[in-house]
Amino acid sequence: MEHDAPAIFVALEQSGFAAAIRQSRWLYPFANVGHILALVAFAGAIAVMDLRLLGAFAATAPGRVLGWARSAAIAAFCGLAATGSTLFAAEAGHLVLNPVLRLKAALVAAGLVNVLVYELAWRKSVVALPPGARMPRAARIGAALSLAIWVAVAACGRSIAYF
Amino acid sequence: MRIHLAVPAALVLLAGPALAHHGWGSYDAAHPVTVNGPILSSKFENPHVIVTVQGSDKVWTVTLAPASRMESRGALAAVVAVGKDVSAYGYPSTVQKNEMRAERITVDGKTYEMR
Repeated sequence: MEHDAPAIFVALEQSGFAAAIRQSRWLYPFANVGHILALVAFAGAIAVMDLRLLGAFAATAPGRVLGWARSAAIAAFCGLAATGSTLFAAEAGHLVLNPVLRLKAALVAAGLVNVLVYELAWRKSVVALPPGARMPRAARIGAALSLAIWVAVAACGRSIAYF
Repeated sequence: MRIHLAVPAALVLLAGPALAHHGWGSYDAAHPVTVNGPILSSKFENPHVIVTVQGSDKVWTVTLAPASRMESRGALAAVVAVGKDVSAYGYPSTVQKNEMRAERITVDGKTYEMR
């Protein structure tokens, strides 16, 4: 039923690159395990950032906590993207029709828009705040939204294989 | 920021029909089938080895175990090669027509568990 999928994804699945992923004994399992490890790192970094923005660890300097966690989150996201693309490419023509994968992609997009809002609107002002200062309301809402979105992304990711 | 919630909501509505071929969730375990016949094609690949089998009534796509598990159980590529007669016991897909997930297969009198 691959013919139901957009041609570009069918072409990706039929490419030599995707075939190499499927035919290698270790590449697919490696990407699979790597994706989970990157997810753990990403979830941890995001949780630190979002909880700090929500008011946890209030005695710490926001700039230092958020800066370190942000670097870790960016690195982990790169790992997620690399391993996720590998897993996706192997079965692109099938996966693109999977409703849970589509929901996950939409949630990732929403999560990245939320990141963009933080980066453009709030980062500069919140990292300059002193320890103990109350975070702007919009930044707290963004942090709560971020936690909800990324948890939903993880749940979707695990559910793809069952739909 | 409330606007951004509309993005996933809109995309969910655009999502098409379900289609996937792994996990045990989309297989009907209440109605197991046994497919007997020669293997017409064999892809010894990840995430699942897939063969097509000429059954008595139609050609079945039979989803087997991941490649490394197949090898550790002794169900090597040479065992599920094109032309081999196979008996596959498993469950039909509730999503993809004429596809089944094998619980076990028998080739040359030897049975291999897929789970």
